[in-house]
Amino acid sequence: MRRNNDALVGAVVVIVVVALVAAIAWVKQSDLGGTQRDVIAHFRDVGNTRVGNAVVIRGVVGGRIDAIELAPDGWVDVRMKLDPAARLPSEPVVLLSESSLFGDWQATIVERRSLPSDAALREAIDDASHDGRALPGASLPGIGKLTAVAGQIAGDVASVASRVGTAFDDSAARELRTSIRDVSELSSTLRRVARDHASDLDTLSGQLRVAVAALQRASRSVETTSGRIDSATNSDEARRLVQNFAASADELRHAGAQVRDLAERLRTTQARRSPPTCAPTRRSTSRCGSSDLRESRTRIRTFADACRGAHS
Amino acid sequence: MGIAVRAVESIGSKTLRALRATGPNARFVGDVLASGRDARTWLGQTMTQMRRLGVDSLPIAAFIALFTGIVLALLASYSFTGAVPLYFVGTLVEKTVTLELAPVLTGLALAGRVGANIAAELGTMRVTEQVDALETLGYDPVSFLVLPRVVAGVAMFPVVVGAAMLVAMVAGGTTSVLLLHLSSPEFLKGVRLFFQVFDVEYGLVKSASFGAAVTLAGSACGLRAGGGAVGVGRAATSTVVYSAICILVLDALWAVTWLLGREAAP
Repeated sequence: MRRNNDALVGAVVVIVVVALVAAIAWVKQSDLGGTQRDVIAHFRDVGNTRVGNAVVIRGVVGGRIDAIELAPDGWVDVRMKLDPAARLPSEPVVLLSESSLFGDWQATIVERRSLPSDAALREAIDDASHDGRALPGASLPGIGKLTAVAGQIAGDVASVASRVGTAFDDSAARELRTSIRDVSELSSTLRRVARDHASDLDTLSGQLRVAVAALQRASRSVETTSGRIDSATNSDEARRLVQNFAASADELRHAGAQVRDLAERLRTTQARRSPPTCAPTRRSTSRCGSSDLRESRTRIRTFADACRGAHS
Repeated sequence: MGIAVRAVESIGSKTLRALRATGPNARFVGDVLASGRDARTWLGQTMTQMRRLGVDSLPIAAFIALFTGIVLALLASYSFTGAVPLYFVGTLVEKTVTLELAPVLTGLALAGRVGANIAAELGTMRVTEQVDALETLGYDPVSFLVLPRVVAGVAMFPVVVGAAMLVAMVAGGTTSVLLLHLSSPEFLKGVRLFFQVFDVEYGLVKSASFGAAVTLAGSACGLRAGGGAVGVGRAATSTVVYSAICILVLDALWAVTWLLGREAAP
Protein backbone atom coordinates (compact mmCIF):
# COMPACT_ATOMS: atom_id res chain seq x y z
CA MET A 1 0.00 0.00 0.00
CA ARG A 2 2.79 2.33 0.95
CA ARG A 3 4.74 1.57 -2.24
CA ASN A 4 1.59 2.02 -4.18
CA ASN A 5 1.17 5.47 -2.64
CA ASP A 6 4.74 6.41 -3.36
CA ALA A 7 4.52 5.38 -6.99
CA LEU A 8 1.27 7.14 -7.55
CA VAL A 9 2.32 10.39 -5.92
CA GLY A 10 5.68 10.26 -7.62
CA ALA A 11 4.10 9.65 -11.00
CA VAL A 12 1.63 12.48 -10.58
CA VAL A 13 4.29 14.91 -9.43
CA VAL A 14 6.64 13.98 -12.24
CA ILE A 15 3.94 14.13 -14.89
CA VAL A 16 2.63 17.47 -13.73
CA VAL A 17 6.08 19.01 -13.37
CA VAL A 18 7.25 17.74 -16.74
CA ALA A 19 4.05 18.86 -18.41
CA LEU A 20 4.35 22.31 -16.85
CA VAL A 21 7.99 22.71 -17.82
CA ALA A 22 7.31 21.48 -21.33
CA ALA A 23 4.38 23.82 -21.69
CA ILE A 24 6.41 26.77 -20.49
CA ALA A 25 9.29 25.90 -22.80
CA TRP A 26 6.87 25.54 -25.69
CA VAL A 27 5.13 28.82 -25.00
CA LYS A 28 8.44 30.61 -24.50
CA GLN A 29 9.78 28.93 -27.66
CA SER A 30 12.90 27.95 -25.78
CA ASP A 31 15.83 26.66 -27.81
CA LEU A 32 16.23 23.33 -26.01
CA GLY A 33 18.47 21.66 -28.57
CA GLY A 34 20.62 24.73 -29.22
CA THR A 35 19.89 24.58 -32.93
CA GLN A 36 19.08 28.25 -33.35
CA ARG A 37 21.78 30.70 -34.34
CA ASP A 38 22.51 33.99 -32.70
CA VAL A 39 22.52 37.30 -34.53
CA ILE A 40 23.45 40.53 -32.80
CA ALA A 41 22.24 43.92 -33.90
CA HIS A 42 23.49 47.32 -32.84
CA PHE A 43 21.10 50.13 -31.89
CA ARG A 44 21.18 53.56 -30.38
CA ASP A 45 17.71 53.06 -28.91
CA VAL A 46 15.48 50.01 -28.86
CA GLY A 47 12.20 51.79 -28.09
CA ASN A 48 9.77 49.46 -26.36
CA THR A 49 11.33 46.24 -27.67
CA ARG A 50 11.40 43.43 -25.13
CA VAL A 51 12.92 39.99 -24.86
CA GLY A 52 10.65 37.51 -26.64
CA ASN A 53 9.49 39.87 -29.39
CA ALA A 54 9.34 38.39 -32.87
CA VAL A 55 12.08 38.72 -35.49
CA VAL A 56 10.52 39.03 -38.92
CA ILE A 57 12.29 38.27 -42.19
CA ARG A 58 10.36 39.07 -45.37
CA GLY A 59 7.13 39.12 -43.36
CA VAL A 60 7.67 35.72 -41.75
CA VAL A 61 8.52 35.24 -38.10
CA GLY A 62 11.98 33.73 -38.20
CA GLY A 63 13.06 34.00 -34.61
CA ARG A 64 12.82 35.77 -31.27
CA ILE A 65 14.72 38.45 -29.45
CA ASP A 66 16.77 36.61 -26.87
CA ALA A 67 18.51 39.38 -24.98
CA ILE A 68 18.86 43.15 -24.87
CA GLU A 69 22.06 44.47 -23.37
CA LEU A 70 23.62 47.87 -22.91
CA ALA A 71 26.87 48.23 -24.87
CA PRO A 72 29.69 50.78 -24.51
CA ASP A 73 29.57 54.27 -26.07
CA GLY A 74 25.81 54.59 -25.79
CA TRP A 75 24.89 51.56 -27.89
CA VAL A 76 22.41 48.79 -27.22
CA ASP A 77 23.05 45.24 -28.40
CA VAL A 78 20.05 43.10 -29.24
CA ARG A 79 20.73 39.40 -29.51
CA MET A 80 18.27 37.50 -31.67
CA LYS A 81 17.82 33.77 -32.01
CA LEU A 82 16.96 32.87 -35.56
CA ASP A 83 15.64 29.62 -36.94
CA PRO A 84 18.34 27.61 -38.72
CA ALA A 85 16.36 27.71 -41.94
CA ALA A 86 16.02 31.48 -41.90
CA ARG A 87 18.35 33.03 -44.48
CA LEU A 88 19.34 36.67 -44.04
CA PRO A 89 19.19 39.06 -47.00
CA SER A 90 22.38 40.56 -48.41
CA GLU A 91 23.52 43.63 -46.49
CA PRO A 92 20.99 43.04 -43.73
CA VAL A 93 19.87 45.81 -41.39
CA VAL A 94 17.46 45.53 -38.48
CA LEU A 95 14.51 47.85 -37.93
CA LEU A 96 12.63 47.89 -34.66
CA SER A 97 9.01 48.96 -34.95
CA GLU A 98 5.63 48.49 -33.42
CA SER A 99 3.83 45.47 -34.77
CA SER A 100 0.38 46.37 -33.44
CA LEU A 101 -1.53 49.06 -31.64
CA PHE A 102 -1.24 47.13 -28.41
CA GLY A 103 2.34 47.92 -27.64
CA ASP A 104 4.15 44.82 -28.91
CA TRP A 105 7.23 45.48 -31.04
CA GLN A 106 9.11 43.40 -33.55
CA ALA A 107 12.50 43.38 -35.19
CA THR A 108 12.43 43.29 -38.97
CA ILE A 109 15.51 42.25 -40.90
CA VAL A 110 15.57 43.92 -44.32
CA GLU A 111 18.02 44.67 -47.07
CA ARG A 112 19.83 47.98 -46.72
CA ARG A 113 18.78 49.18 -50.16
CA SER A 114 15.10 48.51 -49.41
CA LEU A 115 15.12 50.86 -46.44
CA PRO A 116 12.41 53.53 -46.40
CA SER A 117 13.54 56.83 -47.89
CA ASP A 118 13.93 58.51 -44.53
CA ALA A 119 17.12 60.51 -44.17
CA ALA A 120 17.20 60.23 -40.37
CA LEU A 121 16.69 56.47 -40.56
CA ARG A 122 19.45 56.01 -43.12
CA GLU A 123 21.73 58.20 -41.05
CA ALA A 124 21.03 56.07 -37.97
CA ILE A 125 21.76 52.89 -39.94
CA ASP A 126 25.00 54.37 -41.28
CA ASP A 127 25.91 55.44 -37.77
CA ALA A 128 25.36 51.90 -36.47
CA SER A 129 27.33 50.30 -39.30
CA HIS A 130 30.73 50.88 -37.73
CA ASP A 131 30.69 47.62 -35.80
CA GLY A 132 31.47 44.76 -38.14
CA ARG A 133 30.39 41.98 -35.81
CA ALA A 134 26.83 43.21 -35.41
CA LEU A 135 24.10 44.15 -37.83
CA PRO A 136 23.30 47.85 -37.98
CA GLY A 137 19.89 48.72 -36.64
CA ALA A 138 17.54 51.59 -35.98
CA SER A 139 14.19 51.94 -34.30
CA LEU A 140 11.26 53.56 -36.02
CA PRO A 141 9.17 55.99 -34.01
CA GLY A 142 6.43 54.20 -32.16
CA ILE A 143 2.79 55.05 -32.21
CA GLY A 144 3.27 56.51 -28.76
CA LYS A 145 5.88 58.92 -30.06
CA LEU A 146 3.76 59.82 -33.06
CA THR A 147 0.78 60.27 -30.77
CA ALA A 148 2.88 62.49 -28.51
CA VAL A 149 3.84 64.67 -31.48
CA ALA A 150 0.23 64.75 -32.59
CA GLY A 151 -0.73 65.67 -29.05
CA GLN A 152 1.81 68.48 -29.07
CA ILE A 153 0.39 69.77 -32.35
CA ALA A 154 -3.11 69.52 -30.93
CA GLY A 155 -1.93 71.46 -27.87
CA ASP A 156 -0.49 74.19 -30.09
CA VAL A 157 -3.71 74.38 -32.06
CA ALA A 158 -5.66 74.57 -28.82
CA SER A 159 -3.38 77.35 -27.62
CA VAL A 160 -3.89 79.29 -30.85
CA ALA A 161 -7.61 78.69 -30.62
CA SER A 162 -7.63 79.94 -27.04
CA ARG A 163 -5.72 83.05 -28.10
CA VAL A 164 -8.21 83.63 -30.88
CA GLY A 165 -10.94 83.07 -28.32
CA THR A 166 -9.33 85.64 -26.03
CA ALA A 167 -9.01 88.18 -28.84
CA PHE A 168 -12.39 87.44 -30.29
CA ASP A 169 -14.42 88.12 -27.16
CA ASP A 170 -18.08 89.04 -26.78
CA SER A 171 -17.61 92.68 -27.66
CA ALA A 172 -15.69 91.73 -30.82
CA ALA A 173 -18.45 89.34 -31.76
CA ARG A 174 -21.02 92.05 -31.09
CA GLU A 175 -19.09 94.51 -33.23
CA LEU A 176 -18.73 91.99 -35.98
CA ARG A 177 -22.44 91.31 -35.80
CA THR A 178 -23.15 95.05 -35.96
CA SER A 179 -20.76 95.42 -38.91
CA ILE A 180 -22.45 92.60 -40.72
CA ARG A 181 -25.82 94.19 -40.05
CA ASP A 182 -24.49 97.55 -41.33
CA VAL A 183 -23.10 95.93 -44.44
CA SER A 184 -26.44 94.26 -44.96
CA GLU A 185 -28.28 97.56 -44.59
CA LEU A 186 -25.77 99.24 -46.91
CA SER A 187 -26.23 96.60 -49.51
CA SER A 188 -30.02 96.89 -49.29
CA THR A 189 -29.72 100.69 -49.64
CA LEU A 190 -27.45 100.28 -52.61
CA ARG A 191 -29.94 97.89 -54.09
CA ARG A 192 -32.77 100.38 -53.56
CA VAL A 193 -30.72 103.25 -55.06
CA ALA A 194 -29.77 101.13 -58.00
CA ARG A 195 -33.40 100.21 -58.48
CA ASP A 196 -34.46 103.92 -58.31
CA HIS A 197 -31.72 104.98 -60.67
CA ALA A 198 -32.70 102.25 -62.99
CA SER A 199 -36.27 103.61 -63.06
CA ASP A 200 -34.91 107.17 -63.57
CA LEU A 201 -32.78 105.92 -66.36
CA ASP A 202 -35.81 104.18 -67.78
CA THR A 203 -37.75 107.48 -67.64
CA LEU A 204 -34.81 109.39 -69.08
CA SER A 205 -34.36 106.95 -71.86
CA GLY A 206 -38.13 107.12 -72.53
CA GLN A 207 -37.99 110.88 -72.63
CA LEU A 208 -34.93 110.71 -74.80
CA ARG A 209 -36.82 108.43 -77.11
CA VAL A 210 -39.69 110.94 -77.22
CA ALA A 211 -37.20 113.79 -77.84
CA VAL A 212 -35.53 111.84 -80.58
CA ALA A 213 -38.93 111.20 -82.11
CA ALA A 214 -39.74 114.92 -81.85
CA LEU A 215 -36.42 115.78 -83.44
CA GLN A 216 -37.14 113.31 -86.17
CA ARG A 217 -40.48 114.95 -86.70
CA ALA A 218 -38.85 118.45 -86.65
CA SER A 219 -36.19 117.35 -89.05
CA ARG A 220 -38.87 115.92 -91.29
CA SER A 221 -40.78 119.26 -91.21
CA VAL A 222 -37.55 121.19 -91.78
CA GLU A 223 -36.93 118.93 -94.67
CA THR A 224 -40.43 119.58 -95.92
CA THR A 225 -39.98 123.31 -95.35
CA SER A 226 -36.63 123.34 -97.05
CA GLY A 227 -38.18 121.42 -99.88
CA ARG A 228 -40.88 123.99 -100.08
CA ILE A 229 -38.30 126.77 -99.88
CA ASP A 230 -36.40 125.09 -102.65
CA SER A 231 -39.52 124.82 -104.69
CA ALA A 232 -40.38 128.39 -103.77
CA THR A 233 -36.95 129.56 -104.81
CA ASN A 234 -37.24 127.69 -107.97
CA SER A 235 -40.57 129.45 -108.77
CA ASP A 236 -39.27 133.07 -107.94
CA GLU A 237 -41.80 133.48 -105.17
CA ALA A 238 -39.10 134.62 -102.76
CA ARG A 239 -37.81 137.23 -105.20
CA ARG A 240 -41.26 138.42 -105.73
CA LEU A 241 -41.81 138.57 -102.03
CA VAL A 242 -38.66 140.65 -101.58
CA GLN A 243 -39.66 142.86 -104.42
CA ASN A 244 -43.02 143.27 -102.79
CA PHE A 245 -41.33 144.16 -99.54
CA ALA A 246 -39.12 146.70 -101.36
CA ALA A 247 -42.10 148.20 -103.10
CA SER A 248 -43.90 148.44 -99.80
CA ALA A 249 -40.89 150.14 -98.26
CA ASP A 250 -40.77 152.66 -101.12
CA GLU A 251 -44.40 153.26 -100.69
CA LEU A 252 -43.95 153.71 -97.02
CA ARG A 253 -41.02 156.06 -97.62
CA HIS A 254 -43.17 157.96 -100.00
CA ALA A 255 -46.00 158.02 -97.53
CA GLY A 256 -43.56 159.28 -94.90
CA ALA A 257 -42.48 162.09 -97.18
CA GLN A 258 -46.05 162.94 -97.79
CA VAL A 259 -46.76 162.88 -94.10
CA ARG A 260 -43.79 165.16 -93.54
CA ASP A 261 -44.98 167.48 -96.15
CA LEU A 262 -48.42 167.32 -94.66
CA ALA A 263 -47.03 168.07 -91.29
CA GLU A 264 -45.16 171.05 -92.69
CA ARG A 265 -48.28 172.36 -94.22
CA LEU A 266 -50.17 171.74 -91.10
CA ARG A 267 -47.68 173.72 -89.10
CA THR A 268 -47.79 176.54 -91.50
CA THR A 269 -51.55 176.53 -91.43
CA GLN A 270 -51.61 176.39 -87.68
CA ALA A 271 -49.18 179.25 -87.37
CA ARG A 272 -51.40 181.34 -89.54
CA ARG A 273 -54.72 180.66 -88.00
CA SER A 274 -54.13 180.55 -84.24
CA PRO A 275 -52.32 183.21 -82.08
CA PRO A 276 -49.38 182.13 -80.23
CA THR A 277 -50.17 181.03 -76.69
CA CYS A 278 -46.80 181.11 -75.28
CA ALA A 279 -45.38 184.46 -76.48
CA PRO A 280 -46.44 187.30 -78.69
CA THR A 281 -43.15 187.44 -80.42
CA ARG A 282 -42.53 185.97 -83.77
CA ARG A 283 -39.65 184.10 -82.43
CA SER A 284 -41.60 182.58 -79.61
CA THR A 285 -44.43 181.80 -81.93
CA SER A 286 -42.13 180.00 -84.29
CA ARG A 287 -40.57 178.25 -81.34
CA CYS A 288 -43.87 176.94 -80.10
CA GLY A 289 -44.86 175.76 -83.50
CA SER A 290 -41.55 174.09 -84.10
CA SER A 291 -41.88 172.01 -80.91
CA ASP A 292 -45.17 170.68 -82.10
CA LEU A 293 -43.63 169.87 -85.39
CA ARG A 294 -40.74 168.18 -83.71
CA GLU A 295 -43.12 165.99 -81.80
CA SER A 296 -44.98 165.18 -85.01
CA ARG A 297 -41.77 164.42 -86.77
CA THR A 298 -40.66 162.13 -84.02
CA ARG A 299 -43.91 160.25 -84.26
CA ILE A 300 -43.64 159.98 -87.99
CA ARG A 301 -40.03 158.84 -87.73
CA THR A 302 -41.02 156.20 -85.22
CA PHE A 303 -43.72 155.11 -87.56
CA ALA A 304 -41.23 155.02 -90.44
CA ASP A 305 -38.78 153.03 -88.43
CA ALA A 306 -41.51 150.61 -87.55
CA CYS A 307 -42.33 150.29 -91.23
CA ARG A 308 -38.68 149.76 -92.04
CA GLY A 309 -38.39 147.10 -89.34
CA ALA A 310 -41.44 145.44 -90.70
CA HIS A 311 -39.92 145.59 -94.13
CA SER A 312 -36.63 144.12 -93.09
CA MET B 1 -25.95 56.74 25.39
CA GLY B 2 -26.41 53.23 26.79
CA ILE B 3 -26.70 51.76 23.29
CA ALA B 4 -23.48 53.44 22.19
CA VAL B 5 -21.63 52.13 25.23
CA ARG B 6 -22.94 48.63 24.60
CA ALA B 7 -21.85 48.82 20.92
CA VAL B 8 -18.36 49.89 21.94
CA GLU B 9 -18.21 47.09 24.51
CA SER B 10 -19.31 44.58 21.87
CA ILE B 11 -16.58 45.72 19.47
CA GLY B 12 -14.01 45.56 22.27
CA SER B 13 -15.01 42.05 23.36
CA LYS B 14 -14.88 40.75 19.79
CA THR B 15 -11.49 42.33 19.26
CA LEU B 16 -10.16 40.79 22.43
CA ARG B 17 -11.58 37.38 21.48
CA ALA B 18 -9.89 37.61 18.08
CA LEU B 19 -6.63 38.64 19.69
CA ARG B 20 -6.98 35.85 22.24
CA ALA B 21 -7.37 33.36 19.36
CA THR B 22 -4.26 34.73 17.72
CA GLY B 23 -2.07 33.55 20.54
CA PRO B 24 -3.09 29.85 20.47
CA ASN B 25 -3.03 29.86 16.68
CA ALA B 26 0.44 31.34 16.59
CA ARG B 27 1.53 28.85 19.25
CA PHE B 28 0.04 26.03 17.17
CA VAL B 29 1.97 27.17 14.08
CA GLY B 30 5.08 27.38 16.21
CA ASP B 31 4.50 23.81 17.47
CA VAL B 32 4.09 22.58 13.89
CA LEU B 33 7.35 24.20 12.85
CA ALA B 34 9.09 22.85 15.95
CA SER B 35 7.86 19.33 15.29
CA GLY B 36 9.71 19.34 12.00
CA ARG B 37 12.76 18.16 13.90
CA ASP B 38 11.06 14.79 14.49
CA ALA B 39 11.41 13.75 10.87
CA ARG B 40 11.10 10.01 11.56
CA THR B 41 7.61 10.54 12.88
CA TRP B 42 6.13 12.79 10.17
CA LEU B 43 8.11 11.71 7.12
CA GLY B 44 6.50 8.27 7.03
CA GLN B 45 3.02 9.71 7.00
CA THR B 46 3.70 12.39 4.45
CA MET B 47 3.47 10.32 1.30
CA THR B 48 0.11 8.92 2.35
CA GLN B 49 -1.16 12.42 2.99
CA MET B 50 0.27 13.61 -0.32
CA ARG B 51 -1.77 11.03 -2.11
CA ARG B 52 -4.90 11.75 -0.15
CA LEU B 53 -4.62 15.52 -0.30
CA GLY B 54 -3.02 15.86 -3.70
CA VAL B 55 -3.50 12.97 -6.05
CA ASP B 56 -7.04 12.27 -4.93
CA SER B 57 -7.89 15.94 -5.44
CA LEU B 58 -6.79 16.01 -9.05
CA PRO B 59 -10.18 15.05 -10.54
CA ILE B 60 -12.06 17.83 -8.78
CA ALA B 61 -9.32 20.33 -9.64
CA ALA B 62 -9.30 19.23 -13.28
CA PHE B 63 -13.09 19.45 -13.43
CA ILE B 64 -13.06 23.00 -12.09
CA ALA B 65 -10.20 23.99 -14.40
CA LEU B 66 -11.91 22.50 -17.45
CA PHE B 67 -14.99 24.62 -17.07
CA THR B 68 -13.01 27.64 -15.97
CA GLY B 69 -11.01 27.51 -19.20
CA ILE B 70 -14.13 27.12 -21.34
CA VAL B 71 -15.98 29.96 -19.65
CA LEU B 72 -12.94 32.24 -19.71
CA ALA B 73 -12.46 31.82 -23.44
CA LEU B 74 -16.11 32.54 -24.10
CA LEU B 75 -16.11 35.54 -21.75
CA ALA B 76 -12.99 36.92 -23.37
CA SER B 77 -14.42 36.57 -26.85
CA TYR B 78 -17.67 38.19 -25.69
CA SER B 79 -15.72 41.11 -24.23
CA PHE B 80 -13.29 41.54 -27.12
CA THR B 81 -15.61 41.17 -30.10
CA GLY B 82 -15.30 44.17 -32.40
CA ALA B 83 -12.83 46.02 -30.21
CA VAL B 84 -9.77 43.86 -29.63
CA PRO B 85 -8.22 41.18 -31.87
CA LEU B 86 -9.57 37.78 -30.98
CA TYR B 87 -6.15 36.28 -30.38
CA PHE B 88 -6.15 38.22 -27.11
CA VAL B 89 -8.46 35.46 -25.87
CA GLY B 90 -5.29 33.44 -25.42
CA THR B 91 -3.64 36.25 -23.51
CA LEU B 92 -6.59 36.67 -21.18
CA VAL B 93 -6.99 32.94 -20.59
CA GLU B 94 -3.29 32.52 -19.87
CA LYS B 95 -2.98 35.49 -17.54
CA THR B 96 -6.21 34.84 -15.67
CA VAL B 97 -5.69 31.13 -15.25
CA THR B 98 -2.07 31.19 -14.19
CA LEU B 99 -2.17 34.26 -12.00
CA GLU B 100 -5.53 33.97 -10.32
CA LEU B 101 -8.20 31.48 -11.17
CA ALA B 102 -6.32 28.21 -11.07
CA PRO B 103 -4.74 28.88 -7.65
CA VAL B 104 -7.76 30.50 -6.02
CA LEU B 105 -10.53 28.29 -7.38
CA THR B 106 -8.52 25.14 -6.78
CA GLY B 107 -7.59 26.40 -3.32
CA LEU B 108 -11.23 27.08 -2.46
CA ALA B 109 -12.26 23.67 -3.77
CA LEU B 110 -9.53 21.97 -1.79
CA ALA B 111 -10.46 24.01 1.27
CA GLY B 112 -13.82 22.27 1.19
CA ARG B 113 -12.51 18.89 0.30
CA VAL B 114 -9.14 18.69 2.08
CA GLY B 115 -9.69 21.14 4.94
CA ALA B 116 -13.02 19.66 5.96
CA ASN B 117 -11.56 16.17 5.63
CA ILE B 118 -8.63 16.99 7.90
CA ALA B 119 -10.86 18.73 10.46
CA ALA B 120 -13.35 15.86 10.51
CA GLU B 121 -10.62 13.23 10.80
CA LEU B 122 -8.63 14.97 13.53
CA GLY B 123 -11.82 16.10 15.31
CA THR B 124 -13.08 12.54 15.41
CA MET B 125 -9.72 11.39 16.73
CA ARG B 126 -9.92 14.09 19.34
CA VAL B 127 -13.48 13.32 20.50
CA THR B 128 -12.77 9.59 20.49
CA GLU B 129 -9.59 10.24 22.49
CA GLN B 130 -7.31 8.70 19.88
CA VAL B 131 -5.15 11.80 20.08
CA ASP B 132 -4.84 11.27 23.82
CA ALA B 133 -3.89 7.66 23.14
CA LEU B 134 -1.13 8.82 20.78
CA GLU B 135 0.19 11.12 23.43
CA THR B 136 0.06 8.28 25.89
CA LEU B 137 2.06 6.16 23.49
CA GLY B 138 4.71 8.86 23.34
CA TYR B 139 3.84 10.27 19.92
CA ASP B 140 3.67 13.97 19.40
CA PRO B 141 0.20 14.43 17.84
CA VAL B 142 1.36 17.56 16.02
CA SER B 143 4.33 15.77 14.55
CA PHE B 144 2.38 12.59 13.79
CA LEU B 145 -0.92 14.05 12.61
CA VAL B 146 -0.49 17.69 11.63
CA LEU B 147 2.94 18.11 10.08
CA PRO B 148 2.54 15.36 7.42
CA ARG B 149 -0.70 16.99 6.29
CA VAL B 150 0.84 20.47 6.22
CA VAL B 151 3.86 19.26 4.28
CA ALA B 152 1.60 17.31 1.91
CA GLY B 153 -0.58 20.36 1.44
CA VAL B 154 2.36 22.67 0.75
CA ALA B 155 3.90 20.15 -1.65
CA MET B 156 0.80 18.94 -3.46
CA PHE B 157 -1.27 22.08 -3.80
CA PRO B 158 1.14 23.49 -6.42
CA VAL B 159 1.06 20.18 -8.27
CA VAL B 160 -2.70 20.14 -8.31
CA VAL B 161 -2.81 23.82 -9.30
CA GLY B 162 -0.20 23.25 -12.01
CA ALA B 163 -2.32 20.44 -13.44
CA ALA B 164 -5.33 22.74 -13.22
CA MET B 165 -3.44 25.42 -15.17
CA LEU B 166 -2.64 22.99 -17.95
CA VAL B 167 -6.19 21.68 -18.11
CA ALA B 168 -7.64 25.21 -18.14
CA MET B 169 -5.29 26.33 -20.91
CA VAL B 170 -6.07 23.32 -23.02
CA ALA B 171 -9.78 23.80 -22.39
CA GLY B 172 -9.51 27.50 -23.29
CA GLY B 173 -7.58 26.73 -26.47
CA THR B 174 -9.97 23.98 -27.52
CA THR B 175 -12.95 26.22 -26.89
CA SER B 176 -11.34 29.01 -28.93
CA VAL B 177 -10.69 26.69 -31.84
CA LEU B 178 -13.99 24.87 -31.77
CA LEU B 179 -16.44 27.55 -30.73
CA LEU B 180 -14.76 30.86 -31.54
CA HIS B 181 -13.28 29.80 -34.90
CA LEU B 182 -9.87 30.99 -33.74
CA SER B 183 -6.96 29.06 -35.15
CA SER B 184 -4.67 27.37 -32.69
CA PRO B 185 -1.61 29.44 -33.86
CA GLU B 186 -3.61 32.58 -33.17
CA PHE B 187 -4.57 31.38 -29.72
CA LEU B 188 -0.95 30.46 -29.11
CA LYS B 189 0.14 33.88 -30.35
CA GLY B 190 -2.12 35.47 -27.77
CA VAL B 191 -0.76 33.18 -25.06
CA ARG B 192 2.83 33.99 -26.01
CA LEU B 193 2.25 37.70 -26.37
CA PHE B 194 2.50 38.54 -22.68
CA PHE B 195 3.53 35.21 -21.21
CA GLN B 196 6.10 35.24 -18.45
CA VAL B 197 7.45 32.32 -16.45
CA PHE B 198 6.77 34.54 -13.48
CA ASP B 199 3.05 34.04 -14.04
CA VAL B 200 3.38 30.33 -13.37
CA GLU B 201 5.81 30.85 -10.49
CA TYR B 202 3.47 33.32 -8.87
CA GLY B 203 0.50 30.95 -9.15
CA LEU B 204 2.43 27.98 -7.81
CA VAL B 205 3.95 29.83 -4.86
CA LYS B 206 0.57 31.27 -4.03
CA SER B 207 -1.04 27.84 -4.14
CA ALA B 208 1.65 26.46 -1.80
CA SER B 209 0.72 29.13 0.73
CA PHE B 210 -2.93 28.21 0.26
CA GLY B 211 -2.07 24.57 0.95
CA ALA B 212 -0.34 25.53 4.16
CA ALA B 213 -3.28 27.70 5.24
CA VAL B 214 -5.92 25.06 4.50
CA THR B 215 -4.09 22.21 6.23
CA LEU B 216 -3.17 24.33 9.24
CA ALA B 217 -6.75 25.57 9.62
CA GLY B 218 -8.14 22.06 9.28
CA SER B 219 -5.65 20.62 11.74
CA ALA B 220 -6.19 23.38 14.29
CA CYS B 221 -9.97 23.21 14.16
CA GLY B 222 -9.91 19.41 14.23
CA LEU B 223 -7.61 19.13 17.21
CA ARG B 224 -9.72 21.67 19.14
CA ALA B 225 -12.96 19.89 18.38
CA GLY B 226 -15.05 18.77 21.30
CA GLY B 227 -18.58 17.75 22.12
CA GLY B 228 -18.98 14.69 19.95
CA ALA B 229 -20.28 14.60 16.41
CA VAL B 230 -21.69 18.10 16.68
CA GLY B 231 -18.29 19.44 17.62
CA VAL B 232 -16.69 17.58 14.73
CA GLY B 233 -19.23 19.01 12.32
CA ARG B 234 -18.69 22.50 13.69
CA ALA B 235 -14.92 22.04 13.33
CA ALA B 236 -15.34 21.01 9.69
CA THR B 237 -17.54 24.02 8.99
CA SER B 238 -15.14 26.38 10.72
CA THR B 239 -12.27 24.93 8.75
CA VAL B 240 -13.93 25.64 5.43
CA VAL B 241 -14.82 29.19 6.49
CA TYR B 242 -11.39 29.99 7.88
CA SER B 243 -9.64 28.37 4.94
CA ALA B 244 -11.63 30.42 2.46
CA ILE B 245 -10.89 33.60 4.43
CA CYS B 246 -7.20 32.72 4.62
CA ILE B 247 -7.05 31.99 0.87
CA LEU B 248 -8.61 35.31 -0.08
CA VAL B 249 -6.49 37.29 2.40
CA LEU B 250 -3.32 35.56 1.25
CA ASP B 251 -4.29 36.15 -2.38
CA ALA B 252 -4.55 39.87 -1.73
CA LEU B 253 -1.35 39.81 0.30
CA TRP B 254 0.61 38.13 -2.50
CA ALA B 255 -0.80 40.56 -5.04
CA VAL B 256 0.22 43.55 -2.95
CA THR B 257 3.65 42.28 -2.02
CA TRP B 258 4.68 40.56 -5.26
CA LEU B 259 2.64 41.90 -8.14
CA LEU B 260 2.45 45.57 -7.24
CA GLY B 261 4.96 47.62 -9.22
CA ARG B 262 6.02 44.71 -11.37
CA GLU B 263 5.96 45.10 -15.14
CA ALA B 264 3.36 43.02 -16.93
CA ALA B 265 5.13 42.70 -20.27
CA PRO B 266 8.32 40.64 -20.63
